[in-house]
Amino acid sequence: MAGLQIRNVEKVYGNKFKAVHGISLDVKDGEFMVLVGPSGCAKSTLLRMIAGLETITAGEISIGERVVNNLVPGKRGIAMVFQNYALYPHMKVFKNLSFGMRLQRRPRAEIESGIGHVSRLLEIEELLDRLPKQLSGGQAQRVAVGRAIIKKPEVFLFDEPLSNLDAKLRAAMRVRLTSLHKQLKQEGLSSTVVYVTHDQVEAMTMGDRICVMKDGRIMQVADPVTLYDRPENTFVAGFIGTPEMNLFSARLHKGASGASLEIGKQRMALDPSVMARLTLGDAGEVTAGIRPQHIAPAAAGASNTLEGRVSHVEFMGHEIYLHVVIADNAFIVVTQSAGFDRAKASEGAMHFTVAQDALHLFDPVSGKNISLGS
Amino acid sequence: MGGDSKFLGLLYISPYVIGLLVFTAIPFVYSFYLSFTDYPLMTAPVWVGLDNYLELFTSDRTFRKSLSVTLVYVFTTVPLKLVFALFIAVILNYRLKMINFFRTAYYVPSILGGSVAVAVLWRYIFAKAGVVNMALGFFGMDPINWFGDPNYALFIITLLRVWQFGSAMIIFLAALQSVDKSLYESAAIDGANKWQTFRSITLPLITPVIFFNLIMQTVQAFQEFNGPYIITNGTGSPLKSTYLLPLYIYDEAFKKFDMGYASAIAWVMFFIIMVLTLVAFWSSRRWVYYAGDKRS
Amino acid sequence: MTTTALSAIALETERTNRMTRRLQRISAAVRYLILAGVGLVMLYPLIWLIGASFKTNAEIFADPGFIPKEPTLNGYINGWKTSTPYTFATFFWNTFLIILPKTVGTAISATAVAYGFARFEFPFKKLFFATVIAILLLPNVVTRIPQYLLFRDLGWLDSFLPLWVPSALAGDAFFVFMLIQFLRAIPRDMEEAARVDGANTLQVLIFIVVPLLAPAIVSVCLFQIMWTMNDFLGPLIYISSVDKYPISLALKLSIDTTEAFDWNRILAMSVLALAPSLIIFFLAQKQFIEGISSGGVKG
Ligand SMILES: Nc1ncnc2c1ncn2[C@@H]1O[C@H](COP(=O)(O)OP(=O)(O)OP(=O)(O)O)[C@@H](O)[C@H]1O
Ligand SMILES: [Mg+2]
Repeated sequence: MAGLQIRNVEKVYGNKFKAVHGISLDVKDGEFMVLVGPSGCAKSTLLRMIAGLETITAGEISIGERVVNNLVPGKRGIAMVFQNYALYPHMKVFKNLSFGMRLQRRPRAEIESGIGHVSRLLEIEELLDRLPKQLSGGQAQRVAVGRAIIKKPEVFLFDEPLSNLDAKLRAAMRVRLTSLHKQLKQEGLSSTVVYVTHDQVEAMTMGDRICVMKDGRIMQVADPVTLYDRPENTFVAGFIGTPEMNLFSARLHKGASGASLEIGKQRMALDPSVMARLTLGDAGEVTAGIRPQHIAPAAAGASNTLEGRVSHVEFMGHEIYLHVVIADNAFIVVTQSAGFDRAKASEGAMHFTVAQDALHLFDPVSGKNISLGS
Repeated sequence: MGGDSKFLGLLYISPYVIGLLVFTAIPFVYSFYLSFTDYPLMTAPVWVGLDNYLELFTSDRTFRKSLSVTLVYVFTTVPLKLVFALFIAVILNYRLKMINFFRTAYYVPSILGGSVAVAVLWRYIFAKAGVVNMALGFFGMDPINWFGDPNYALFIITLLRVWQFGSAMIIFLAALQSVDKSLYESAAIDGANKWQTFRSITLPLITPVIFFNLIMQTVQAFQEFNGPYIITNGTGSPLKSTYLLPLYIYDEAFKKFDMGYASAIAWVMFFIIMVLTLVAFWSSRRWVYYAGDKRS
Repeated sequence: MTTTALSAIALETERTNRMTRRLQRISAAVRYLILAGVGLVMLYPLIWLIGASFKTNAEIFADPGFIPKEPTLNGYINGWKTSTPYTFATFFWNTFLIILPKTVGTAISATAVAYGFARFEFPFKKLFFATVIAILLLPNVVTRIPQYLLFRDLGWLDSFLPLWVPSALAGDAFFVFMLIQFLRAIPRDMEEAARVDGANTLQVLIFIVVPLLAPAIVSVCLFQIMWTMNDFLGPLIYISSVDKYPISLALKLSIDTTEAFDWNRILAMSVLALAPSLIIFFLAQKQFIEGISSGGVKG
């Protein structure tokens, strides 16, 4: 039963490359924390520092109340599932599962009951007598998870464990891992998880909280809904959500008659509610952001719309993606395909309404969201 | 490929098939036949049944000496060479900057291999007044009459071949380098220390090349000829202590032209090698890990 | 957690990091030391050989160092003349005459045979492939005597034919095996594309497979050259006239015929005998190392 604390951790690799710039993160006991971010943002580096596979250049990592900086991996109370599973190819599944326990000279009975429990849990009883090369991808994945669970670690570490599976299996394993996590929790076992992925669907569906990283820094830590609704900066806004949030330069005007947003030669009046959310009140250049789902073709005769030209229409089945150019900015607009008139769209100019409660404004220099209220 | 005659492949391997028949298969069988004959080369072979073998095992003291010398030689040279090769390979496998340099340097003796010149060099280095004895003198030890003392002479040949550990070492190194690094990390997380990791992960994973090296080096060691022949001028001296079976076979066949008897010796040696190889293959199921194709 | 506790941990981390680094440096130093020591012991005989070949006979057994005090070329001059009517040039030439056809024959036959094994299905393929492995393990003492008798009956004794012909018929199973391994690792798509474009199997072999296999074929040639150069027993059995002797036999002959005290002559000739191998090795070390690493070659 333990959480994980990371305090001001830094990592400088041997070649003087600074991969991690002072990261602090608290993972609560039993929490499923997902680290997500683009390739090279040091997710694996951070995870491997927690595991003890990389030295910690500065800062402190503790598991439970215990500082683990100076402990070898085997003594940290962690278990790790690798991207390629790293099953020992010359050992049968049974031996793979029991290797750690055998090193600790645990009694035979304990090893066998542990393996019995884990193999039932993961439905790998049939596989115990096989070599890893005789397993399918999904089976190998389950064995790797089993090898982690059997150690009853305080913290589970996963480094992109699903990325070697095909899309269908990945979806199934996602559900399986989440329910496994719940089950462990119910059994009162330690179930703190740090899970690295670069797939935002995994992050959003599995994480209790998500830590979005970029270039060795944390951009935001929050639960999935907050991350989606209240991104703290343009990076998170752009990273989470598909298709990406439309981000564009605009000019904020404040006048006696109310505020407005100037986009190219067009102008859109802003609701007082938007202005109430603004934490940085000055007029001037801003970066505005609106998700494709929050901008829609305007109803006939609607006012306060933006005008754009549809350059391309993608039919996705239930939805339609409109590629639109509004005041020289490329936008994507997602709209229901039912009742959508394609002929109208191809005529060219169309009007769009923005759902203003979902409109974000960012500081153009720092990228900070200035429309989150206080 | 579809449409090709199924004999096309045979056409490509036909040189091999001809060579196999003419230079290996038929000679192989014929040599077995010869081992049951008396064949002094000038007259036709005369069938003598088991006489050659009976003589070998009952009255031929040279053979007994030669056989025991050969076994001692093989069972010291092969393990020493392999252990040394593996030891150096493990050291080199650590991410060292000059690995290529050392790898090359260590390989040079192997490339010169069984050449006459290297055997000549050995004769000089281990001569009574040679470099080795000078070095011993430097440490205050008495010079040793390496090639005059039956206790040492064979060991010097062993040293000559252990000195050529380079190719075994390179094969080991290639195997070590192909071990997936994440297995080591996984073992570390499982709590294994360095030695446990080497015992439980590294060693089992390179058993295929250990096996390969073991077989190859053994077959080769049994056939050692150049070293003792050149160093001792073909005599296997002192007291036949370096008189390996190939020397004996050579003498019987090409000095005495006793082809039948020589063939019998060759077949005894072949039989020993075959038994050892079969034992190795049979036992390999228990200790060699085969990274074969994936199947389920 | 208080700040003082935190900084104590930081200090501790800093200290262990420093200690790990120091341990790593020490361990690296120990490794280098072992490697360098072993390397020196390994290479010293060769270094000594080269040095001693320039020494006077009096000095060879008097001084363990390798730098000659009174450098002399006498060893080379006398050695080159040999005690036969021929100079060493003849023996080098003979070695070359053995190597060239043998290597070319090996390259061509081993490539064709490997191609046959790796790319075609044919009757008894498994059986034939098993014989490749068997020959790999077969000690050739068993076949040597009948082979000798065969060559005698063919009238090939005292010619280079017994040295050439078996190799030209892909008799060195090692090379066939090595090339098969290489070929199996090369995907077939290019060859299939060429077949679709209308090439026959021989054209595919020559225009697609051989270029792809070139590095491996080069390795095969290099190893064959080295082994032929070192081969002693083959020439010893088959070559009897001195004018056909290759270097290995000539060197042995010069040991047998040289005056007992003329050491530097023999050492000088040994250096010359090793020189071609060493030069080829240093020019092509990459091919050797890669050839061994991937093919698994004896030596
Ligand atoms: N051993 C190393 N030495 C030097 N730099 C390294 C080392 N390992 C990683 N890096 C660098 O550190 C940065 C972070 O790497 P890391 O593997 O942690 O990224 P990641 O977020 O896991 O990426 P991915 O999603 O591609 O796995 C990268 O720029 C990488 O090049
Ligand atoms: Mg990674």
